[in-house]
Amino acid sequence: MNRRELVLQAFRDPASLTGLDLMQWDLLLRQARQANLLVSLYILLIDKELIEAIPEQPRRHLEWSHSVTERYKQAVLWEIGFIQKALGEAGVRLILLKGAAYVMARLPHARGRTFSDIDILVPKDSLGNVEASLMLHGWQATHHDEYDQRYYRNWMHEIPPMQHAKRMSVIDVHHAILPVTAPIHPDSRKLLAAARQVDAQGDVFVFSPADMVLHSAVHLFHDGEYDNGLRDLVDIHGLLQHYGATPGFWAILTARARELELTRPLFYALRYAALLLHTPVPAQALQDADIGRPGPLLLKLMDQLFMRALLPHHPSCDDGWTASARAILYIRANWLRMPPWLLVRHLFHKAFLSPKKEG
Amino acid sequence: MISIPDQTVDASDGDVFSSVAWRAIDGAAEIRHWGDEYVVYNVRSGNTHLLGFAAGQIFLKLQQSAADAGSLASMLAIDWQLDPDAEFMQQIASLLADLDALALIERA
Amino acid sequence: MTVSSLTPTELAARLKRGLFLRTGAFTVKLQTTIPNVSEGVRLLYADYPLASEDFADFHVSLSRPFNLRRWFKPQVWFRLEGIAPFQPLPYDQSFPLLEWGLNWCVSYHANSYLMIHAAVVEKDGHAAILPAPPGSGKSTLCAALVNRGWRLLSDELTLIRLSDGAIVPLPRPVSLKNASIDVIKKFVPTAVFSRAVDDTLKGTVAHMKPSADSVVRAGETAKPGWIIFPQYQADAATRLEAIPPSRAFMRVADNAFNYSQLGQCGFEALAALIDQSAAYDFTYSVLDEAIAAFGALQAPAPRP
Repeated sequence: MNRRELVLQAFRDPASLTGLDLMQWDLLLRQARQANLLVSLYILLIDKELIEAIPEQPRRHLEWSHSVTERYKQAVLWEIGFIQKALGEAGVRLILLKGAAYVMARLPHARGRTFSDIDILVPKDSLGNVEASLMLHGWQATHHDEYDQRYYRNWMHEIPPMQHAKRMSVIDVHHAILPVTAPIHPDSRKLLAAARQVDAQGDVFVFSPADMVLHSAVHLFHDGEYDNGLRDLVDIHGLLQHYGATPGFWAILTARARELELTRPLFYALRYAALLLHTPVPAQALQDADIGRPGPLLLKLMDQLFMRALLPHHPSCDDGWTASARAILYIRANWLRMPPWLLVRHLFHKAFLSPKKEG
Repeated sequence: MISIPDQTVDASDGDVFSSVAWRAIDGAAEIRHWGDEYVVYNVRSGNTHLLGFAAGQIFLKLQQSAADAGSLASMLAIDWQLDPDAEFMQQIASLLADLDALALIERA
Repeated sequence: MTVSSLTPTELAARLKRGLFLRTGAFTVKLQTTIPNVSEGVRLLYADYPLASEDFADFHVSLSRPFNLRRWFKPQVWFRLEGIAPFQPLPYDQSFPLLEWGLNWCVSYHANSYLMIHAAVVEKDGHAAILPAPPGSGKSTLCAALVNRGWRLLSDELTLIRLSDGAIVPLPRPVSLKNASIDVIKKFVPTAVFSRAVDDTLKGTVAHMKPSADSVVRAGETAKPGWIIFPQYQADAATRLEAIPPSRAFMRVADNAFNYSQLGQCGFEALAALIDQSAAYDFTYSVLDEAIAAFGALQAPAPRP
């Protein structure tokens, strides 16, 4: 079994895990821990009823990672309750994104998922009200540096993260899923319009299934930090497997990608999920998504970059090119977010002028 | 400290003295007691609280069934063999407010 | 096969590529070329079993950074799988850093236990748990007790197994500070100590070798018995005062590493521990009197 691809192997063929020896388990656990996928591995083995077949020494590491997830989930629900209250008073619907959305929607792959911030999407013109209401309810601004404030407010798709003074939890308020300065502008109003309630009676909303997939794809293939890259790809894998069973989903997905001008990220999402995790994607869907295919040379380059950067950020998964791949993708991501003159200024400022963080 | 004459009720306490019923939030807490004190774990907030005898008894009563401040006070006065005077009512009201603030009880 | 079966050269070679060591319920792979650490391991971990080299719970390393400071104020880093949980310390403190690092590894990850920041010793199958903030004299008392008939389970980390409430040993070198080092050296002339290291954040620190017996019996769990909050007070009379269980619960929760993260499981495990233990505040100034007081402790009556 390929050492570099142990974690991938786990998702492609969970049953094969029962054949691993202790040395392979030792390595797999370290890769999975680095990739933030220990709990996902545990859930996978529980679902396939394979957990008893795993030797005790590695098994307890999986159990350790799982034992704190119940409390974590309660904490997230508790926090969402407070956010609901604040947004309710601002007259704005609560639309959750990413990890918090997966957890609230009770998506199977999101059991035990952890994340540091809660992300929400609000209409751009309500940002002022939302920010004010959050402050009234105890959240405080972070990133007091003037440049950072401008970076977020003028150029990015979110206001600077806010932290609650007592509970220390952090909320990211987005008004779009891509920065203002990016070359494409998926219409936030369409995303908001298609959002659906999580529960029949509640007033917490999440994206429609297709929009969830597309947002995850945009997030993964436009952001520059790949420390959680494999975990994000596993999210996409989970979303596609779960919603893929719904009739009509794939056609809606590819059509929506065209509507929101997100055919390129969708192409990458389907391609790398299928290549790395063997996600079952219907041939018709691949064909429909092909409209987002980049030119052959660019595709070759992207393959080289992503097939490395999406592996766990662990020495045993690196080859000689991995560090460069990550660096190139970081620059690419910033390139995609902002025009060249802004990019240079941003990187310059980040490197030399931002106050050094402690610790 | 607001003093409350026999039959009348101070307006600012109107809330807890009204016939609004309280109940323990369903499934929200685990409680244990040793001697006269109670330790309560609030499943939702993740906080653990040490409750005195009175607060613990109120919480247990509200776990069994919903009650408004008045009937709660009457029941407890009998249990504890105390006179349900104004000061007693005030203490009950105060403890209800505390339990509410800890998100252990809610208005029914 | 134990560490003592290796010659110093063999030990250094193993440490260079990674020494697999069994400490209580955990296997550690320790990689380092630092001589202080090698010496500390040779001396204090002599009785510890070597583990098979296919699996380790924690892959840790101690290394000197290759930078300009290397020559005039050298430092040492502790890493777990390449990540450093702490800032580096002065090079001289390498062995204490190993001990602090190993404690961190367990307390941060081993969530099948409720973990309390407390020493724990055992006699006749019952455990006396000694939670205490620094300066309370907990370690001195612990070091004395384990040389007067009590078995060392741990001097820092009390592990309560969630599945059955058993107290699981993690015997490792006992850390002592400042004046306690001399006190225990006098109290136990035969005790084996690591070289004392000055100027740490905690003052002067040295580690005492745990008895071979405690290491051999690391697999033997204990039942709850007593929870005793020690407080050394110069010239004070020896005094044992019962603590109401509800108060003991809150104080132990305050001293636990992962009580909050374990949520309801943590609450239930702690409640069970309190049910089965007698809790006391303990004041002492004379070690011999303290030992006698502990000797007189009655096993708590089983509660219904």
